[in-house]
Amino acid sequence: MSMNVEVLEDDKHHRYVLNMGPQHPSTHGVLRVLLELEGEYAMNLLPVLGYGHRCHEKIAEFKPAKSFMPNTARMDYLGALIYNHGFAQLLERACGIEVPERVEYIRVITSELNRIQSHLLWYGAYLLDLGAFTPIMYAFDDREHILDILEDVTGSRLTYCYFRVGGVSKDIDDKFVTSTRAFVKRLRGRFPMYEDLVNGNVILQNRLIDIGELTPQTCARYGVTGPLLRGTGVAYDIRRAEPYSIYSKFDFEIPTETKGDCMASFLVRFRELEQSLRIIEQALDSLPEGPIMAAKVPKKLKIPAGDYNSSVEAPRGELSYYLVSDGSDVPYRLKVRTPSYSNLSIVPEVCQGMLISDVVSAMGSLDLVIPEIDR
Amino acid sequence: MDINNVKKQWQTLATTVEAVDYAVSGHDYSLSLERDKVRDFAAFMLEEGFYLVDLMAVHVTPAIEVVYQFAHVETRCRVLARAFVDDNVEMPTISDIYQGANWHERETRDFHGVVFIDHPYLHPLILPEEDVELKPLLKAEAKLKDVEAIRRQPPEPAPEPKPKAKPEAKPEPPKSQEQS
Repeated sequence: MSMNVEVLEDDKHHRYVLNMGPQHPSTHGVLRVLLELEGEYAMNLLPVLGYGHRCHEKIAEFKPAKSFMPNTARMDYLGALIYNHGFAQLLERACGIEVPERVEYIRVITSELNRIQSHLLWYGAYLLDLGAFTPIMYAFDDREHILDILEDVTGSRLTYCYFRVGGVSKDIDDKFVTSTRAFVKRLRGRFPMYEDLVNGNVILQNRLIDIGELTPQTCARYGVTGPLLRGTGVAYDIRRAEPYSIYSKFDFEIPTETKGDCMASFLVRFRELEQSLRIIEQALDSLPEGPIMAAKVPKKLKIPAGDYNSSVEAPRGELSYYLVSDGSDVPYRLKVRTPSYSNLSIVPEVCQGMLISDVVSAMGSLDLVIPEIDR
Repeated sequence: MDINNVKKQWQTLATTVEAVDYAVSGHDYSLSLERDKVRDFAAFMLEEGFYLVDLMAVHVTPAIEVVYQFAHVETRCRVLARAFVDDNVEMPTISDIYQGANWHERETRDFHGVVFIDHPYLHPLILPEEDVELKPLLKAEAKLKDVEAIRRQPPEPAPEPKPKAKPEAKPEPPKSQEQS
């Protein structure tokens, strides 16, 4: 697609190109979008990527697979534990390592806390993009509790590196359990307030309803997954479709909407918060005792030759690691399929002909995390 | 989706169709394609409701291998399809069938130099425009492996150090096929 800056034949209208980003606040990172405008309407959109590319896939080919774990957290800084989970699962699958049951419970509890924290940040930041300043204060207040809980057990607040191949680095204690239970109770008590304050607001509804409509077919052509796909009525969640870890043991719903517009994915994400709380509660109730590390994990982890895939449900959709091994402990090739990459690629098609203000609302509903696009 | 029908159709499109163990590899089926069947294959997958998970390349000898991954939203069916590029490092595009492949193909062009024929806009996506010939994910000569070295070996009955020490040894693959 080339940008047309020529004056059109009808000389009352002409098109011009506007740079949105790389420092535009609504892109939440260094993403640049070239907008070809006719008045206030975006007639063509061209996302320009790569400003924050850190060559994670190249780095992976130069060090033992086990030592790649910290890198995974730096791709999606909001879903670091879920990225840890996918990578740990990949190596455990490749090397046939059995993980103790307690570890799986700890992983699920912390991953779901991480998911809630990501959704809360999206909630606040999205509304901020739309011009509502107050909700982010409430969302950050709730999110802060999760960061404190996770800081105690993992040692960091954002780019966690807590999971290990075959286990986790530190056991959770009674303090973790009590404060998590307290948080579950607290967040549940806040939902009615969010509903009253935000979700029913007429301005929000006018900004979201009928904007950026997707269909299941569009999603399949672009590989769109996660809350956006569930907003079109497809109940596809890797936690249910390919139950990994111990997700099959828990009772939770997969929220769906049918319309596929921004409001649909907004409501899906909001309702996912409650489902994550339900998973955490059930996991805490049945938390078994036991070791937090598999018995025998070799120091030098040789991966048998072949290719391996591991998919998990990240906050934004399907995350897949694809590893090609030549039999050594260093991956021959590692490819990370990140959800935001595929989700962002619908923008040129879906946002064509939109008002600029609607482009902001449609891009915000993608819940973009740019570092996972620029891996 | 009727998996038996789909498999029958795959037989006509792919050179090999192999069911693989999900617990070990994370895939359900692994296919090898001829270059000129890639587009037909992609069109068939879209028709059957598969979505495009990923598209990437692996640098091996004799030629760079382009890997397509698909999954289905209704039933668990993870499919991996491979095809080698030709001598000019070219591959037909599937970005008119799966529009999501557009960016994946541009990224593969950036990192491996694979040229996707008839791609609408094969412009650098991740790399800056002046580094278009960098091809950063191509392997150095010393590290480049043969394609047989990265294939899954069938489980050996007795621990044999041979396949590890000499992964490129030609007699190995036929021998292991006889065993399986």
